[in-house]
Amino acid sequence: MTYARKLGILAVLGTMLGAVGCHGDYLTGGELSTSPNRPTVASNRNLFIPIQAELFNLWSGDPARVTGIYAQEFSGINRQYAALDATYSQDPNTTNGQQQAIYSSGGLVDIVNLETQAKQQGDTLFLGIAQITEGALMGTAADIFGDIVYSQALQHKANPKPDDQLAVYDSVQKVLSAGIANLQAYHTGGTNAGPGPADLNYGGNAAKWIAMAHTLKARFYMHTGKVRPGAYAQALAEAQLGIQSDAGNYTAAISGSQIGESNLYYQFNDYYRGDMFPGGPTIDSLLVAHNDPRRDLYFTVCTAANVKQSFTDCQPGAAAPTGLLDFGDIVNDPTFQVPLVTYNENTLIWAEAAYRTGDQATALAKLNEERANVGADPAPNSLSGQPLLNEILNEEYVNDFALGEEAWMLYNRTCTPNLVPHSSTKKIPGRLFYDAGEQQTNTNLPPAGQGINGYRNPATPASATSDGTGAVCLGQ
Amino acid sequence: MRRLLSRYIAVTAALVTSASVAAAQGGTTISGRVTNDAGAPLPGASVFLQGLSIGSQTNDQGSYTFVVAPARATGQTATLTARVIGYAAKSVTVTLARGANITQDFVLAANPLRLGEVVVTGAGTSTTREKLTATINTVDSAAITRVAQPQNVVSALAAQAPNVEVRTQSGEPGASASIRIRGASSVTGTNQPLFVVDGQPIDNSTISTNGGDQSTVSTNRASDINPADIQSIEILKSAAAAAIYGARASNGVILITTKRGHAGATRYTLSSNNIWDTPQLPNLLQTKYGQGTNNSTIQSCSAVNCAASSYSWGGAVPAGQAFDHLNELFDTGITSDNNIQLSGGNDRTTFFASGGLNAQNGYFKGPNNKYNRASIRLKGTQQVGQKLNIGGNLSYVDDRGKYVQKGSNTSGVMLGALRTPPSYNNLNSYTSTGLQRPYRFPNPGSVQALEGATYYDNPFFVLNNPGNRNELGRSISNLNADWNPLGWLNIKETLGGDYYSDWRIEALPLTSASAKTGSVTRYDINNLIIDNNLIGTVTHSLGDNIDATLTVGQNMNSRRYRDNYDAGTVLVAPDPLALQNTVTQKDFEFRSLQHVQSYFTQAELDFYHQLVVNVGVRNDGFSTFGASSRRANYPKASVAWTFSNWLNGGDQTGVFSYGKLHYAYGETGKEPPVYAAVNGFSLTNTFGSGYSDELNSVLSGQGGVSSLFTLGNANLKPERNRESEVGLDAAFFNSKVDLSATYYNKNSSDVILAVPVSAAVWGAGQMYENAATLNNQGLELTLNLHPIQRENAAWDIGVQYGRNRGLVKSLAGAQFITYNNEGFTGAIGSSTVGFAPGVIRGSDFVRCGRQLTLSDGTDVDAACNATQKAQHALYLGPDGLPIADPTDRVIADPNPKYSMSYSTSLKLWNKLTFSGLLDVRKGGSVWDGTRGILDNFGTGTDTYIRNQQGQYGKNYQTDIYPHVAGPGVGVVAFKTPGDWESWFRGDGGGFGNVGAQFVEDGSFAKLRELGVTYTMDQRWVRNLIGFSSADIRVAGRNLHTWTKYKGLDPEANLGGGEFLTQGLDYFINPQVRSFVLSISLNR
Repeated sequence: MTYARKLGILAVLGTMLGAVGCHGDYLTGGELSTSPNRPTVASNRNLFIPIQAELFNLWSGDPARVTGIYAQEFSGINRQYAALDATYSQDPNTTNGQQQAIYSSGGLVDIVNLETQAKQQGDTLFLGIAQITEGALMGTAADIFGDIVYSQALQHKANPKPDDQLAVYDSVQKVLSAGIANLQAYHTGGTNAGPGPADLNYGGNAAKWIAMAHTLKARFYMHTGKVRPGAYAQALAEAQLGIQSDAGNYTAAISGSQIGESNLYYQFNDYYRGDMFPGGPTIDSLLVAHNDPRRDLYFTVCTAANVKQSFTDCQPGAAAPTGLLDFGDIVNDPTFQVPLVTYNENTLIWAEAAYRTGDQATALAKLNEERANVGADPAPNSLSGQPLLNEILNEEYVNDFALGEEAWMLYNRTCTPNLVPHSSTKKIPGRLFYDAGEQQTNTNLPPAGQGINGYRNPATPASATSDGTGAVCLGQ
Repeated sequence: MRRLLSRYIAVTAALVTSASVAAAQGGTTISGRVTNDAGAPLPGASVFLQGLSIGSQTNDQGSYTFVVAPARATGQTATLTARVIGYAAKSVTVTLARGANITQDFVLAANPLRLGEVVVTGAGTSTTREKLTATINTVDSAAITRVAQPQNVVSALAAQAPNVEVRTQSGEPGASASIRIRGASSVTGTNQPLFVVDGQPIDNSTISTNGGDQSTVSTNRASDINPADIQSIEILKSAAAAAIYGARASNGVILITTKRGHAGATRYTLSSNNIWDTPQLPNLLQTKYGQGTNNSTIQSCSAVNCAASSYSWGGAVPAGQAFDHLNELFDTGITSDNNIQLSGGNDRTTFFASGGLNAQNGYFKGPNNKYNRASIRLKGTQQVGQKLNIGGNLSYVDDRGKYVQKGSNTSGVMLGALRTPPSYNNLNSYTSTGLQRPYRFPNPGSVQALEGATYYDNPFFVLNNPGNRNELGRSISNLNADWNPLGWLNIKETLGGDYYSDWRIEALPLTSASAKTGSVTRYDINNLIIDNNLIGTVTHSLGDNIDATLTVGQNMNSRRYRDNYDAGTVLVAPDPLALQNTVTQKDFEFRSLQHVQSYFTQAELDFYHQLVVNVGVRNDGFSTFGASSRRANYPKASVAWTFSNWLNGGDQTGVFSYGKLHYAYGETGKEPPVYAAVNGFSLTNTFGSGYSDELNSVLSGQGGVSSLFTLGNANLKPERNRESEVGLDAAFFNSKVDLSATYYNKNSSDVILAVPVSAAVWGAGQMYENAATLNNQGLELTLNLHPIQRENAAWDIGVQYGRNRGLVKSLAGAQFITYNNEGFTGAIGSSTVGFAPGVIRGSDFVRCGRQLTLSDGTDVDAACNATQKAQHALYLGPDGLPIADPTDRVIADPNPKYSMSYSTSLKLWNKLTFSGLLDVRKGGSVWDGTRGILDNFGTGTDTYIRNQQGQYGKNYQTDIYPHVAGPGVGVVAFKTPGDWESWFRGDGGGFGNVGAQFVEDGSFAKLRELGVTYTMDQRWVRNLIGFSSADIRVAGRNLHTWTKYKGLDPEANLGGGEFLTQGLDYFINPQVRSFVLSISLNR
């Protein structure tokens, strides 16, 4: 073989290697380095939609269902919910990641993203709205889980300490106040683009947000009333500034246009599962007693024509069905917008807070204002004292149907109605366990097994020991 | 397709026949016969002239003949070699004179260790088996076509090599199979090895349309390879062997070599396999108690729109009136697998052409469980001049499947069937107006009434749904060149592409329980892999006793994946089941691009034909690595010493015939998931619960963007496995007995995982990190006996044993990570520190020795004695019942303790072959979620106990909880049927939280194969049918399973190849028992 030929071979080899090997950018650039599937920036309005979706989920999705079952607004009749209802056998997976959802996408992290961007842009309208949403989210987180990480949240430092539940409520009051202040300071135009149509409830209306924030403040003051007697006066003051008509109601404002935009109760109970039933006779007897038209909203009364389920009171072919058959539109209508923070709630808080601060006349007037608003029979003018309180508390329980956390907080605080626990050996749970995922990544969260039914945190507001009539509490 | 194929084959055959005729004029004819030392003919032996690339293969009588063209027969001497699997090759020197007829017979000595065989070692390299310095298992074509489920090449590897764990999801056509070599080395992904076909990496992903635990089966893509085309499969188990594939080889490599043509007369093979499949169905269901509750009368419900009980806790079913809801779903599935193969060539050209049609009709009744595969392949080589050989390998496959909804799915076939009370007739499936009749809502008056009701679909309604289909077209093709420019230099180049387009539709008709208003999912998947591999090999001998080989290579790989997922909801009209017939559609697109650019080199030194040293390194650059670690090195070093060559000169005879020791060290890696190194926001997050209820990111026409739940990490680098292996191969008694033993220790570090992080800290639940460390250690033993090797009788016995111990040593501070899509709350797949990857987590009842306190303050351990604490005895409360313990813990380890296989074959008169294969797996728990749910509904056989009084742990669940303690010992907890019912419907059933009570031992022994083959090669065969021989084979597969497992099958799994976690049983589909009749005609 000649030298020239060997050289030729080497030249061919070199060319081959060069042709396939020498592209310096073969490993970077274009879709090699950036994902074509994900945005890299998010506008304020972009961020606000998932934030609202998460809030709707928290108040009308699985957390509301579980707490609603505990409060016996609903009963679990099948599968996982049956066990939850019958034996309260919750575990760290019962919450299905809902604790993580508080902080992650659509939760606190995106609210903080939104607040940061709004601040940078000088958009005090959007900033104030975001802060009110933050208060709503974190206050409800405290309702569900008790002590929860808030003051040390999102700081990228391992093992943050949870704040006491009462401290979380205090922080929530502050952020709600800050939100109100920002909205009061806001002026139209200029840098205040606000959420506009991305605000699914109020379209960016500052006045409505301010009223809603006051009602929320009142709500969370009420939750601490059992251990902080002064809270009732604070709640009263807030309720007076809260939502004053149905036009100001904050709801799960879904369109119902497709399954992923439908009423979550409908999705769960009608579309996917059918695992819940309306609560038993307690709530219905209250509705019937006051001729409350919400009975048609809550329940479908049994008739021969609409038999769908094997509910014990409504067997097929029964001569005169008398019991309750099924949920009403509140669950069955995919487009139904579950009321979350409402004029009715505000009025009832006003009533109870007035009673607690010694003003029975206002208490009765507000109770009847709510009754009138829903079209139910008024309470008699003679009603006073403990029976009046009990009547208000029961009315709150009726109003809290489908708002599980509120019904459950009412029960924890007042033991009204005086529910009989479904398990003879267990009390009704006072909080949900921390998520398994969150627990194992934060050594400062106590384990679920702290007493097998560690249903209380150390700083959880004490449970009521007697009900609205003064009778001994059966379930706490 | 069929017509196209036959035309194609006819054209190919015509071309080749004319070429071989032209070559036979005036050259040297070489012919002869190849037999073993007992005189039996050796068919399929290749006889070839070294250096000239000319040769042929022997026929069934062991005869061969080929012609050397006059231009190449110049009176020179050449080495003529005969080589066949299982025998030592022999070479003689012949003189190639023009016009000469050389007759050369070969008598080959048995070589059970197959030492002289060429073994493909990856990336274009090869060596002989005796020079191997790391463990590579070889599976040849005969073994592949004989095995239990040969339609899927991965299933065909079951029980073929120790520590190669294969699980086939179910016996349904198109079910996926997963394979795990030496345990799982990673905690993300499914730990599937890299598949390489003829030097070209291919895709073997398993992609479920709507989630692995529900939806339908979807196959693993390696099943697109027609097993009939496969010549052999090499399993690169050790890191030292796999290191040549660098950062894609952490789970080993499967090298598939397809058949090729040989010079000589054109050979034809026509084969037809017919397989009759029946499901393996143990008794899962009780047949005594009917629909209803409270042990009262059987609930019957005849009014229009009446709702009936979901339970079977009612009264006794009159004799003879119970329905068998399991068996009634099935009939005999029939698979026909027909193949035609042609091969041949001359001294310069070879070709192999094949066509295959595999049509599987599944065991479910109805026309909607089918999987058909049509494949063609053309492989050819052409010698260009004296130094260059170019080749091409073209294949195309067309798959079409029809599927049945399965698994955890209210529209799944088994879920509805097994929950149905024995008193209800599912066969009366439709009302007179054509509405389905689910047992909970048996007389629907209208579609709207069904929409408002709650039920599980009637299984026959499920089986009649034609809406689940796929059609896939795929080509895996390459061009290659083999150039010997200098005597000591060889250059190989392979450029190939693997492209498929998978069209899928998954539709649920109106009134389907899981989508009452109907739904249509359209899913298009496109995948393209382009791979270029260039290597140069230099060989050099230093005197007679030192041979050196140096290989340098370069690899470029590009992977482009695209899918488009359209979810349509609410059907407009009842049909067609098409996207445009839905009210709303939601679209998702995903695409990704990954590039690899690598260099590798290895050197092999052979000293005195007994000591082989192999060292090498691969440098990998991956686009998926983080910017700061774009490239990484994977070294390897191994040494093998054939000490028997030193002891007895290498003649491989005597009491101690052969012995080789090897030690190997290698490093392999795994790349991060695509785009794990970059961050961004999500457009598709949803907000809801695990029960499917959720709100979209787009509401009222307003688009939402939210933070990622899993954070990317720009510093990601590949995982790294460091594995040491030591092995011994030995043969005794003139190689009548041989054994291999291998011990390995594999440490995996920088293992990539989405580390669970505190959402309260990061605003995300997970973050990609190189964080975990794992260890796998194991032992592999193979023993082969060849007690009889005579002219008219040959008997072989083989035993394999493999054990692997996996251990997750750390998870970046986390104690466990869960695979949220694998399993359920109560039994969820995980990797947990202190256990092997893929263990199942859930909760248990309160047990002694676990430092538990009850809600009333009772200290459990104080109520247990020392023995009970050590036994973790079950604590029974005062009512005699166990108490649920909410602690989340590991409840099951599905990884087997060890696996074994026993195989045998007996060949008589060279015509009759009996063969058998027994597969044994010891250990490996299975969570029998199906049993738990059937207990709840009262349809499971457990619930026969309802009319007996009993104590927990004494009369019930004694196998799972053999020891009891606490105040409830001796208390008769179950006095009435109602006690049982309330227990099973509460904590004691599958809807309670206690998953541990349904964990069972998944050990089994399966008779995988029992068969007999008769070869007819008499003259009348040739005269009558024109073929030189015909093989007729009758066999049974999976004839029997011995197991204590109470569910359908300990092998089946809820998710298939798409799950890392195995051992989850939740309304899975059964495995099959098959009867096989094969006819193969050869010429």
